Amino acid sequence: MQTAIRRPVRPTISHWLAPLVWLLLLLGACWGMSWLEPLFRLAEPDSRDIIYDRADFIVLLGRHLQVVGVAALLAIGIGVAAAIAVTRPAGRDFLPMVSQLASMGQTFPPVAVLALAVPVLGFGNLPVIVALLLYGLLPIVRNTLAGLESIDGGVAEAARGMGMTGGQRLWRVELPLAAPIILAGIRTSVTINIATAAIGSTVGASNLGDPIISGIVNGNIAYVLQGALLIGLLALSVDSLFARLQPGSPD
Amino acid sequence: MIELIQVSKRFGDALAVDDVSLSIERGELCVLIGTSGCGKSTTLRMINRLIEHSAGEIHLEGQPVREFREEVLRRRIGYAIQSTGLFPHWTVARNIGLVPGLLKWPRARIRERVEELMALLGLEVEEFADKYPSQLSGGQAQRVGVARALAADPDILLMDEPFGALDPITRESLQDELVRLQARLNKTIVFVTHDMDEALRLADRLVVMNHGRIIQQGHPLELLRRPADGFVESLLGGADRGLKEAALLPVSQRMTALDDAPLAEQRVSQQATLREALSIMLWRHADCLTVVDAADTPVGQLSLRQLVGAGDARAAAGRTDTDQAAG
Repeated sequence: MQTAIRRPVRPTISHWLAPLVWLLLLLGACWGMSWLEPLFRLAEPDSRDIIYDRADFIVLLGRHLQVVGVAALLAIGIGVAAAIAVTRPAGRDFLPMVSQLASMGQTFPPVAVLALAVPVLGFGNLPVIVALLLYGLLPIVRNTLAGLESIDGGVAEAARGMGMTGGQRLWRVELPLAAPIILAGIRTSVTINIATAAIGSTVGASNLGDPIISGIVNGNIAYVLQGALLIGLLALSVDSLFARLQPGSPD
Repeated sequence: MIELIQVSKRFGDALAVDDVSLSIERGELCVLIGTSGCGKSTTLRMINRLIEHSAGEIHLEGQPVREFREEVLRRRIGYAIQSTGLFPHWTVARNIGLVPGLLKWPRARIRERVEELMALLGLEVEEFADKYPSQLSGGQAQRVGVARALAADPDILLMDEPFGALDPITRESLQDELVRLQARLNKTIVFVTHDMDEALRLADRLVVMNHGRIIQQGHPLELLRRPADGFVESLLGGADRGLKEAALLPVSQRMTALDDAPLAEQRVSQQATLREALSIMLWRHADCLTVVDAADTPVGQLSLRQLVGAGDARAAAGRTDTDQAAG
């Protein structure tokens, strides 16, 4: 339970150093990709176009973040709410069903979800958001359930015995104690989806997957590398940011 | 005052508590004792409705507990448990101030009350107020648990094996502390334990339970002298009963006035128990002790004959002894 204990942490620059460095590298790569042209030429010596120039990287980054962000917010809202609902006395009966549904969501390959969603929702960001939402739900539901169930029986009994209402127990005891585990689930979910969102480019959602898809289609490895580099840096930035938000996490 | 009238609790087909009637007076320290699974904890938890009773009635100051809103009822009743149940993400001070906070006391009053309780339970405010439960020893955590139970100054305190997980020395010091607190606060306390020494030490009234039923209840001495059956007798220590009884009686009850004979060398305080006096005699190979008061002034003497109450055959004859009766 050590991780559940919140100690006063004085935020310092060094505390936020890792995410800051990754973020600066990401932004630097977005704006200064052309400086790396000699490097990418090694991968693609014969091509005329080395640096992807059909859209600004920073614009693609913005769109990427947008689609991942919307999907993550929805997944957090739905996932945490569902997990809370099925751990209340009234919703206990639905617990097996919800955890099963959530794991089914992750067995569905996002590409398959896209293929199924496009005829219904059309091309663009919407089917991508649906795919990411389904794919990202499991880690959040699973971790929220694990977090809420991990609360010490004595603590739960004392909270009841002292006369806390259901809402007071949830907000003041259960969620704060489960927070590190829930946050770990959100971290997993968002990090996976930053990578997964790239396939959205195949159904007309413009994001950091564009250079990758375009590179594959045109046989330009340099484009693929540029897209992959940016997505990797984005995932690292967000992941290290979550690591800092998580109390008791050493990295 | 707490009153249980023909209370039963059923879990599925199993009858955990069977037709229990019990009336606990204001200011009384009532200990429920029995083997595990005898229904003592269930009985306790039905009082603050952590478990709802299936049949019968439970009254608090003459009012059925079912008429209270659960939370309102529980905020009026202090509750301390073996695992303490302190919130690991709250400081000691915040943990203690939990119930006053729920009752929406003003901040300043809560702080004052928390400091008062910490002082009462021997916890240095500067040292402990900002600590987290994981930084406390078992005994300290249990003190905090008791302080939290007392925070809103409830008339009634429910304690479910609160000292069960502590080492013997810490346990004894907390038991002494509870006796001292009770003398000062005069709460109505229901205390569950399976430790007979603890029960005898604390109880004004001892309630022995087995298989969900009350087998016998009364003052500890009464139970020791007249156990209702073999179960109560074995629970009370069987052959050790004499020593357990001696542990409940003060030296002052059996000592005689000083006479002209020279004072015995070994001394014993008049507040000591007969058991302690006997122990001194055994250790020092002495058959007579000088009884002294708090200022170490001799006030009487106690011979081994007096200590064991020899010659008081009438009292001994009144005692039931199921072993002999059975054999």
